[in-house]
Amino acid sequence: MKDPAQSSTDHQENPPSASVSTVPLWIFALTLLLIFLGTVYFDHHSGWFNPQIYSPFENEAQLEAYQPKSGSAAMIARGKQVYEQICGICHGVDGMGKPGQAPPLAGSEWVNASSYNRLAHIPLMGVNGDITVEGKDWNMAMAAMGASLSDADLAAVLSYIRNSWGNKSAMVTPEDVAGVRAAIGKNPVPMSAQQLEKMPQ
Amino acid sequence: MNSNDIKPVPTSQVDASCRLPLLALFGGSALWLVLGLLLELTASLQFHAPGIFSCCPWMTYGRVLPAANDLLIYGFAIPTGLGVMLWVVARLGQVELVLPLVSFAGANVWHLGVLVGTLGVLSGHSTGYAWFEYPRVAAALLLPAFMLVAVSAVAAIGQRRIRDLYPSHWFFLASLLWFPWIYSTAFVFLLVWPVRGVAQAVIDWWFASNLIVVWLSLVGLGISFYLLPKFSGRPLEGRFTALFAFVTLLLFGSWLGIPQGAPVPFWLPASSILAGLLFSVPVLVVAMVCARTVCGAPAGCKGGPFCQVKFGTAAFVLSGIWTVAQACPQFAHSTLLTTFDLGRIHWQIFGFFAITVMGGFYELFPRVMASPLPLPGLPRFQHWLFISGALVLAASLAVAGLQQQSADFILARILPAFRASSLGWTLLFIGSLIFALNVFIMTIVWVVGIIKTVIGAIKAPLAVAEVKP
Amino acid sequence: MKNGFSVFCVALAALGLSWIGLVLGPVLQLGHESLTTVLNSTDPYPIQPAGAATLGLQVYKANGCAACHTEQVQQDGVVCNVVLSAPGLHPDDVSNLLSQLDLNGLTDQEASIAAAKIAAVGGKTEIRVASTGGDMNRGWGLRRSVSADYLYDQPVQLGSVRIGPDLADIGTRQTDAKAILAHLYAPQSCTAGSLMPSFKFLFVTRKVQGSPSPDALALPQAFAPPDGFEIVPTQDAKNLVAYLMNLHVNVPLYEAPFTPSVAANK
Repeated sequence: MKDPAQSSTDHQENPPSASVSTVPLWIFALTLLLIFLGTVYFDHHSGWFNPQIYSPFENEAQLEAYQPKSGSAAMIARGKQVYEQICGICHGVDGMGKPGQAPPLAGSEWVNASSYNRLAHIPLMGVNGDITVEGKDWNMAMAAMGASLSDADLAAVLSYIRNSWGNKSAMVTPEDVAGVRAAIGKNPVPMSAQQLEKMPQ
Repeated sequence: MNSNDIKPVPTSQVDASCRLPLLALFGGSALWLVLGLLLELTASLQFHAPGIFSCCPWMTYGRVLPAANDLLIYGFAIPTGLGVMLWVVARLGQVELVLPLVSFAGANVWHLGVLVGTLGVLSGHSTGYAWFEYPRVAAALLLPAFMLVAVSAVAAIGQRRIRDLYPSHWFFLASLLWFPWIYSTAFVFLLVWPVRGVAQAVIDWWFASNLIVVWLSLVGLGISFYLLPKFSGRPLEGRFTALFAFVTLLLFGSWLGIPQGAPVPFWLPASSILAGLLFSVPVLVVAMVCARTVCGAPAGCKGGPFCQVKFGTAAFVLSGIWTVAQACPQFAHSTLLTTFDLGRIHWQIFGFFAITVMGGFYELFPRVMASPLPLPGLPRFQHWLFISGALVLAASLAVAGLQQQSADFILARILPAFRASSLGWTLLFIGSLIFALNVFIMTIVWVVGIIKTVIGAIKAPLAVAEVKP
Repeated sequence: MKNGFSVFCVALAALGLSWIGLVLGPVLQLGHESLTTVLNSTDPYPIQPAGAATLGLQVYKANGCAACHTEQVQQDGVVCNVVLSAPGLHPDDVSNLLSQLDLNGLTDQEASIAAAKIAAVGGKTEIRVASTGGDMNRGWGLRRSVSADYLYDQPVQLGSVRIGPDLADIGTRQTDAKAILAHLYAPQSCTAGSLMPSFKFLFVTRKVQGSPSPDALALPQAFAPPDGFEIVPTQDAKNLVAYLMNLHVNVPLYEAPFTPSVAANK
């Protein structure tokens, strides 16, 4: 590629050339090997372009296996659904109650009692007459709204109201509700606040 | 070689044709390099005296650092790379540079864009995307400016007298294609019609990685594939091996950049891990090509351009190994979100790219200006300053990065390692002064020469006229 | 080389592939993401931030906070912890068994085996899912960050280096706006030896006129203004704080599940 027009002493000023030698075969072999290894890794870890697979999860089955299925969170979530369908109409989705309709549940001493017994009686039997909530007097009738709910759903609702809007009280289990329901027996009659207060908490 | 019937242009004429655009490119880039390193130093002062600029919003760390980083990339690396590239394509084609005024205009618009962008970032108008902080106005200037220089370079390649494409041509052409591509993509998807949510971050990572890893590698390797055979007086050891390196660099390098642990579906980081593993192929092949080319070369280098290009190319291999290591999930885990990656980026910019283009610069500049460098010892001094600065900088950031996770990201615990980076910046800053000194002295000498010629030309007819009567 | 055109085509294809994979793909997949819901709930996620928080992001961006702070929680793994919710009818047997079993840091299968063993002696258990990793140990979040967290951010400020702590969950850790303001004004007054620069330019020092402003910062003596002066935040500082206090990574999502903590069952 040396240019004859230029002086031979000035070879540095000539454009360099490139030798025409073949690529060593082992480079191709190495590339293929790395591609293979990399693809194995990608196959294992990438979730194959699934937009919901983030590390440390490797595939959908694993992600599914670690979804919290039972337990408080699921129960409270269920409780929220039931509450918003049935209870929230009067007590408000925010648990603040509605003047002239229903007393608040947020911060209520009835809801946050040390145990569930009195609280569980309210939806199972209904309440009649005067009741004092957070220092305010209310007078209205509540039907036995929870009597038709399953033990699981009622427990979920009670757990939800005991753990929402700033309330932090113990969960209520379906067994707890079943126990109260059994104690009430058939034919529930709405109770007064005085009757409730005579019961153990 | 099918067109040797055309009379070859003397190399001195080829060199002289590059003078105007190269002066515009290098003059600005020298200024930006000095300013950028000064800002980096200012930013790193933060780790010695945190309250130092508390009253001045323009000097707050979060504005100075991106402004400095962008000056290093947009202000220094890109125009310097383009300058050396223009000269190499003119030399390779043995033709005068086509459309020198177009690339001259492009260089000036580019530097205007960098100025606007830097002021924008410092005044708080950053876009907020890493390595893409310049506000929309500046970005709108940079893109056409690059195209103007690219037109000149592509035209020079098209006019080449030797029709065979040399490997450097592929690297340069790809870099001229890739920068507008990635920059316009980032511009459109981040600034014009911003995409929603975390896709912004993905595009920004993709852009930054392609700019710093792929673009700098394409230009730097293009230069070293031209200069190494030239200096060593041997042909480049093998055209097809170089082609293989070129294709794998594009194919695998362009998928790098999505950090592991990023809040995106894992297939994205996994793609980058895969690409990082495969990136070892082009790195290995480049190392092989260059080692075979240089090996047994008679010429010693003694700190001259040959030395610089050799070191720069070796630094590319090191930065490549660094990239591959960071892709390894086990290793990446212990360096995630630390300064370790910053160390690699600065090694890429200074250890590899800056030192390689400096080799090209000191090779071409006396030839283009047709006068020797004012102080021939200085480039060697600058070379050692750049090497030591880049080493100290990269090493301190890497060491700090390795310690950072065990120190629970409380930087005060690993401050010594981090403060050492200031030393690296200082060394680089002194080196950049030498670069700027060379550019400006040579420019002044050239301008004075022109003025003398002009004055001479004005005086000469007068003298004749005076003689006549 | 005669086949320059084919080299060009190969380069174009290689680069185009990367563009399709890392630009077009994510834009189509993530760029059109819509609201999701909190795990096991119908609550939409994320909630659109209020105006001040949106403006605060612009202050965050303009001052380059992302140069030192990330907004992405990292997660190494996920574990199941078995928690006894009711001892049942044979509490002694259950407590004996509990002392023999590993209950924490289990895989999902180990956890269900342990729960079954406890159930066999009448105890009731709950399997709680928890994220693990350095960030969880540091209290920087309850799960990893996922793309849904950033749906309303413009621009998304993930950051890449942690010179300071991660801020993705700062709104949960720090609920006192005054404390954040004091930290912005004089970081060293809150954390001794902090490397954070002071953002004094986001505050105004002015003479107290009449009664002191309710916004005025309460600072330790060494950082306090001279007597008769007070330091009040500008609107930018207030917006920035609103933005920071709105940053949370504390609700479970399908793609990053965990069991939120509630009062334990009796």
